[in-house]
Amino acid sequence: MKFIVSSTYLLKHLQVLGGVINNSNTLPILDNFLFELDNSSLKVSASDLETTMSSVLEVESDATGNIAVPARLLLDTLKTFPEQPLTFVVQDNNTIEISSNHGKYAVAYADGAEFPKTVTLDNPSSTTIVGDVLATAISKTIFAAGNDDLRPVMSGVFFQFSPQNLTFVATDAHKLVKYTRDDIAASEVAEFIMPKKPLNLLKSILAGNDVEVKVEYNDSNCKFSFENTELVSRLIDGKYPNYEAVIPKENPNKLTVERNQFLNSSRRVSIFSNKTTHQLRLKIAGAELNISAEDIDYSNKAEERLNCDYQGDDIQIGFNSRFLIEMLNNLNANDVQLEMSLPNRAGILTPIDGLDEGEQITMLVMPVMLNN
Amino acid sequence: MNRTILHLDLDTFFVSCERLLDSRLNNKPVIVGGTGDRGVVSAASYETRAYGVHSGMPMKMARQLCPNAIYIRGNAGTYTKFSKQVTEILQSEVPVLEKSSVDEFYADLTGMDRFFGCYKFASELRRKIIHESGLPISFGLSINKTVSKVATNEAKPNNQLKIDTGYEKAFLSPLSIKKIPMVGEKTYRTFCNMGIKNVNTVQQMPVEMMLSVFGKNGRVIWQRANGIDNSPIIEYHERKSISSERTYGQDTTDITKLKTTIIAMAENLAFQLRRGGKLSSCVTVKIRYSDFQTYSKQLKIPYTSADHHLLPVVMRLFESLYNRRLLIRLVGVRYSSLTSGTYQISLFDDEKKTVNLYKAMDAIRIRYGDRSVMRAVTMGEGARTVGNFTNPFNGEPPIVLAHRTQ
Repeated sequence: MKFIVSSTYLLKHLQVLGGVINNSNTLPILDNFLFELDNSSLKVSASDLETTMSSVLEVESDATGNIAVPARLLLDTLKTFPEQPLTFVVQDNNTIEISSNHGKYAVAYADGAEFPKTVTLDNPSSTTIVGDVLATAISKTIFAAGNDDLRPVMSGVFFQFSPQNLTFVATDAHKLVKYTRDDIAASEVAEFIMPKKPLNLLKSILAGNDVEVKVEYNDSNCKFSFENTELVSRLIDGKYPNYEAVIPKENPNKLTVERNQFLNSSRRVSIFSNKTTHQLRLKIAGAELNISAEDIDYSNKAEERLNCDYQGDDIQIGFNSRFLIEMLNNLNANDVQLEMSLPNRAGILTPIDGLDEGEQITMLVMPVMLNN
Repeated sequence: MNRTILHLDLDTFFVSCERLLDSRLNNKPVIVGGTGDRGVVSAASYETRAYGVHSGMPMKMARQLCPNAIYIRGNAGTYTKFSKQVTEILQSEVPVLEKSSVDEFYADLTGMDRFFGCYKFASELRRKIIHESGLPISFGLSINKTVSKVATNEAKPNNQLKIDTGYEKAFLSPLSIKKIPMVGEKTYRTFCNMGIKNVNTVQQMPVEMMLSVFGKNGRVIWQRANGIDNSPIIEYHERKSISSERTYGQDTTDITKLKTTIIAMAENLAFQLRRGGKLSSCVTVKIRYSDFQTYSKQLKIPYTSADHHLLPVVMRLFESLYNRRLLIRLVGVRYSSLTSGTYQISLFDDEKKTVNLYKAMDAIRIRYGDRSVMRAVTMGEGARTVGNFTNPFNGEPPIVLAHRTQ
């Protein structure tokens, strides 16, 4: 088995695939890239059992074979090479020899048959999304997903496909983001929960990329394919909480404020809040929004006032500044609206402008109890 | 710069309080403590000390040693009230005050010599307290906390002692090593095994030797024996954890009773958290079996002060901890990793009702007392007397009973 490939071309693909590999694996074989050579096409795969990603590369070769090559070693070596052709030759003594312009390097490899087989999806449903749209949907929602091992369903993003629209939801039980696209639709109704890791990978590959992504899914797995790349991920098993039910319907108190001002004030004031709870107090009366925070343990205190547009009764409501900042940061509107009903019910944050055609974002943030 | 530290200690505080309430007890042997089988002596009047009774001793033993004494089952509420009265007098008189327990105070009088004469000031202060509260009090005056405390203990009962600057070492040297704070039963035994009885010997020892025997603590003991102690007066005690524990009158395996106690403690502590505006992120459950083997288990959780987050965690810890088929002597619950804040309402498991329920329950409890409203599961036996009646976050030290090592 022998092939010749450009060093930078190989590196570019391996770096993307390398994102799949965990730092510590229970199965040592998962520390490897799987190289499947079939004449001039080389398929490279990486896996962590949950997620498997593979890319097909063009190489110069007329051989076939399957080997697993240590990922870390290969990546570290490739990073140091300037652009040049590299020759990979598999030796008899279970090593693979790489020849560059500078010299020779031998790497021990494992048999490709030891590598876990990629899951094939049985009778999947499918839809297509433009890469950039998918990347946007992921980046708008993924920050709201939780990390709680006890509630695995909340550690992913909920995909809800229907013939009318596509909806993406993420929540950690304290904040929730719902992102809807009316301009794209799926052929049939489907729901599944994708884990965060493969989504983050997709987000970084697809951002700004106009390629068509084919999404295939069944009850347990989901496959994203585009160009020469394929990503198969296991879905999170479980029932997603009924998020529609927790979105308050009647919100008589409506605050409209400039996003940037609100964000900057919240950021500044939150520096003075308690370092573990990050609590902010919003006091809204008339056309004035008062943001304050206090860290009793260190006697730090801050208060800022903003002009706003407000309809409703005077209200005092507490929020975790981290959530508020994350959410405001994730919007790119000039003005935002915060709808509230009571100090112990969710606030609904929506952008007023800055949305693409067919885009819809609803963000929910639960308040903290205030004692006074 | 030399400091001037005053240590004040109310003599046989609990007994003095009882005598104040009932003058018939004056000049009679009085013992305050738990009256059950498991009770220990919290305070013993000087009359009973002649019989060998001391605080921390099991009540049964005290009864054998001194059968004629008057036994009183103390009431923490009364003592707190008297303690507060003394604290108020002190607060109005001294510049910096540390309340280190119900009956012990440190005051920093540094710099007051110029105007009053510290010893004269302290003597007048002592007379004032005795006059206004009616409680006997002793004090020691010196340049640091350790020497002052030892001096107070030497001065007792109802007396005062000043250690002149420069004579600290000389004052400590003839005393028994047991008198140094920090040297308890175990350390004393180690000293005895080394053939050391007096502070004098420790003063002459090189500090390295202490380090090799006692580790890090060795240096502190050595410094204290030499009258060196730079610890400052702490005015405000920040609580790092709150806890509750209960020793049963009789060891038990009655699972309902155990659970009742644990839930009652967990619920009461959760209320304390909310009242103090605190959140906890670490829950610990402790079990002591009848063979005195003690086990505890803790779990890190997201910051919370809500019953419905804390109680299940406490129960889960208890269930995984209780696995020996043995009688249980003690159970305890502790919340630590505290921070100030109010809890984050969750989207899914908090209904508006739960939040309002806590608010209402807490309002009732603040007005009518800890146990005025509670869960039905905590009504049964095993939960009586759970709940401590003072706010743990008022900056005062926790009330440490005499038999607990500090």
